[in-house]
Amino acid sequence: MKELFPAKQVMGFVFSLILTIVALLVYYTDMSFTAGMTVLLITAFIQAGLQLIVFMHAGETKDKGAIYTNIYYGVFMALITILGTLLCMIWGYV
Amino acid sequence: MDFFDRFAIPNPSPVIYASMVAIGLTVLAIIAGLTHFKKWGYLWREWLTTVDHKRIGVMYLISALLMLFRGGVDAVMLRAQLATPDAKLLDAQHYNEIFSTHGVVMILFMAMPFIIALFNFVVPLQIGARDVAFPRLNALSFWLFFMGAMLFNISFVLGGSPDAGWTSYFPLAGNQFSESVGTNYYMIAIQIAGIGTLMTGVNFMTTILKMRAPGMKLMKMPMFTWSALVANLIIVFAFPVLTVALAMGTMDRLFGTHFFSTDAGGLDMLWANLFWVWGHPEVYILILPAFGIYSEIISTFAKRNLYGYKSMVWSMVVIAGYSFLVWAHHFFTMGQGALTNSIFSITTMAIAVPTGVKIFNWLFTLWRGKIQMTVPMLYSILFIPLFTIGGVTGVMLAMSAADYQYHNTMFLVAHFHNVIIPGVVFAMLAGLTYYWPKMFGFMLNEKIGKWTAWLLSIGFVLAFFPMYITGLDGQARRMYTYSASTGFGPWNMAAFIGALIMAVGFALIVYNIYYSVRYASRDIGSDPWDARTLEWATHTPVPEYNFAITPQIDSIEPFWDAKKNGQELFKGKFEKIHMPNSSGMPFIMGCIFFAWGFSFVFSIWIPLIITTIGIFVCLALRSFEVDHGHYITVDEIEETETKLRGAN
Amino acid sequence: MKIDNSLPLEYSTEENQLKVLGFWIFLGAEVMLFGTLFATFFTLVHRTAGGPTGAELFEITPVLIETFLLLASSFTIGLGIHAMRLGRKNAMLAFFGITLLLGLGFLGVEIFDFVQYVHEGATIQTSGFTSILFSTLGTHGAHVSVGFFWGLFIMLQVKKRGLTPQNANKAFIFSLYWHFLDVVWIFIFSFIYLKGMM
Repeated sequence: MKELFPAKQVMGFVFSLILTIVALLVYYTDMSFTAGMTVLLITAFIQAGLQLIVFMHAGETKDKGAIYTNIYYGVFMALITILGTLLCMIWGYV
Repeated sequence: MDFFDRFAIPNPSPVIYASMVAIGLTVLAIIAGLTHFKKWGYLWREWLTTVDHKRIGVMYLISALLMLFRGGVDAVMLRAQLATPDAKLLDAQHYNEIFSTHGVVMILFMAMPFIIALFNFVVPLQIGARDVAFPRLNALSFWLFFMGAMLFNISFVLGGSPDAGWTSYFPLAGNQFSESVGTNYYMIAIQIAGIGTLMTGVNFMTTILKMRAPGMKLMKMPMFTWSALVANLIIVFAFPVLTVALAMGTMDRLFGTHFFSTDAGGLDMLWANLFWVWGHPEVYILILPAFGIYSEIISTFAKRNLYGYKSMVWSMVVIAGYSFLVWAHHFFTMGQGALTNSIFSITTMAIAVPTGVKIFNWLFTLWRGKIQMTVPMLYSILFIPLFTIGGVTGVMLAMSAADYQYHNTMFLVAHFHNVIIPGVVFAMLAGLTYYWPKMFGFMLNEKIGKWTAWLLSIGFVLAFFPMYITGLDGQARRMYTYSASTGFGPWNMAAFIGALIMAVGFALIVYNIYYSVRYASRDIGSDPWDARTLEWATHTPVPEYNFAITPQIDSIEPFWDAKKNGQELFKGKFEKIHMPNSSGMPFIMGCIFFAWGFSFVFSIWIPLIITTIGIFVCLALRSFEVDHGHYITVDEIEETETKLRGAN
Repeated sequence: MKIDNSLPLEYSTEENQLKVLGFWIFLGAEVMLFGTLFATFFTLVHRTAGGPTGAELFEITPVLIETFLLLASSFTIGLGIHAMRLGRKNAMLAFFGITLLLGLGFLGVEIFDFVQYVHEGATIQTSGFTSILFSTLGTHGAHVSVGFFWGLFIMLQVKKRGLTPQNANKAFIFSLYWHFLDVVWIFIFSFIYLKGMM
């Protein structure tokens, strides 16, 4: 039975629960918007990285260069799209 | 009868009824012809169910050429209407419909399939592969594109064409101002074709990353393959944005949501924003493969290796990154502040730098080369100065303050035609001429080809350079007429004559194909251009398995080095080859998608639900299907190889 | 078909390796798809047109249940792949079954949540904000629903045909998809719900 629950994945799961609880602090405590967003950004991206590396085995084959480049490129372009859209639609009207 | 009212044309005219009759007769003629010559089985076995990348490439090519003429007829009608002041040839509504379909057809159903045709035919051969990574997905991509294009094209005889421009800006594209189903066609037909294109992107990225012949490192790939890799990377990251934007537009029109509406918290300019987040990378999806084609051709006919290989690669990678950082230059006049405009202005101008690097590299490749002025080379030589003018006017448009003068004028129309026609269209025609012998086993006539190239260039200059002048003088785009007092008349007449000259040029392409089919020599060998890359190392016609033995690569131009230094490309002996099986599923799924799109356009809900289920059933069947492909035996390979070697 | 026995079953043929890389590239496209939805969400989040705002609509309890269900399912699908690599077919099927049940639970709570929103006067037609809220959540939910059937089909195939290279490859790719949906949910949880209730 024990071999079905590898330590790495159990630890990963525990860690992701901890990250979720940390993120919940922004709801249960009185935080400024900046502080809250900082906490959320940090926990969300660590959580995503955790899934990618521990659970999705992104780095286990010789294609890992292509896989990581592709995902980082996607995340970068998604961030550019989000920030650029906000710049054009909301922030840019001062 | 109420049910059938929705299919009526909202703005009928004799031309549309004539087209209906023409379409009906053509369909009947095709069906009768196939039946008379007993070609139904051949069509099904060899084409509709094929998963061979070469045949799929040819089908893309035929579709692209058909759409070129469909969009070209639109263009001539537009120029005819504008040729004289206060002309009555078309009314405002028909003019709107025609410029909208002209734009969509030319960009999405002509230029895109044309480059994908060349990806399909050339890329696996250039990297020494037997097929693409996912052959059946490739067939599905084609059928989705094809059915999307067909759905879009029936709009003008059933229910009305889209009339809100190829950019389909809201609120104009909303229900209030576009009542007919035309804009539904736009949203749904492009969605279907776009899903196909996205799958193409995934497929070719995987193919190029994983299926290169042994020894072909990334920095030893031919330039066209590099351009294909970068363009498909952009496809993978840009097309999802279009998918989302079109889905939102569809929901706004059919389900009453408020994404782009002007009330209830919607934001109309968000559509423009999302459209160009996709739209700007899209133009680089078109131009980078064109650059790749020019690189192959210039190096082949200058008889020199490409100057600055590494800088060529890096400039494409940089362009791919920048292409996602410039989109707001399409709406500098929207009203956002100077800071936003300045940021996008600077990123836009910065793109000129890597593009300039490429222009200089081509010039240095030509420098002291032994230039052979073949038709593909003629297009490439004409491309360099004409495209540079388009690039320079692009930098003018990039200056956000000055853009208030140029925005939505004929100056802009002249600019983007100036980059797309000498940039993309010339490259596709050059690529068509260059790869024609590999595809069909004979060459296109050089003399007619040169006439075509010159007519297109002269026609192009005459058609579009006057628009720079009238645009600066304030002639707005998308206006169906103007008064004589504006003084635009003579310039627009010149443009119309230019358009006619271009029409003659395009007609000559058809004549050239006819002439060459009849008279061209079939005895041309497998390497008629004395070329440099792997696609010329295999036989003509290319056997099903492309290469009997997988080539071993140790340089950028393996075939050239093999010819000059006598290196052996194909080491080892024949082994049985694994090939994918043909399948009717992609074609059937394409047909279901067509029915799905059609029901969606006209909001006929029951067939929509049935076809949606049908699509998922197809996916489920595919999941359970066991298909290990088949093997070509050593005996069969030997037989084919002996026969083909004899033919050469 | 050459089978390389030094690699895990899901990578053992060339075709399998192609499929894994191809799916990763497709996930890159999915990142952009959800990125666009988020871009639209952040643009329209305050455009409520007098309708309900996020702070008025959102309840922490169902959101927390959804989050823990999906996190747990991401854990169990990981265990399923681990069991598959050990060749433990029944354990793998059990973990896959648990994963799909957790996914079904997630969908149940999400649908319940949607019904609540509609009761409070927020439909997809109410405002720019509700349009994109339902669309973003709905796109994720639709992915989970498709995943449910996909996972079910793979379980049936493994049961019927055993742990062949093809089935192992399908199961592995499905696990990538499922983990990815968890990642998307983390961002929905953080930047739609928690930010909205902050």
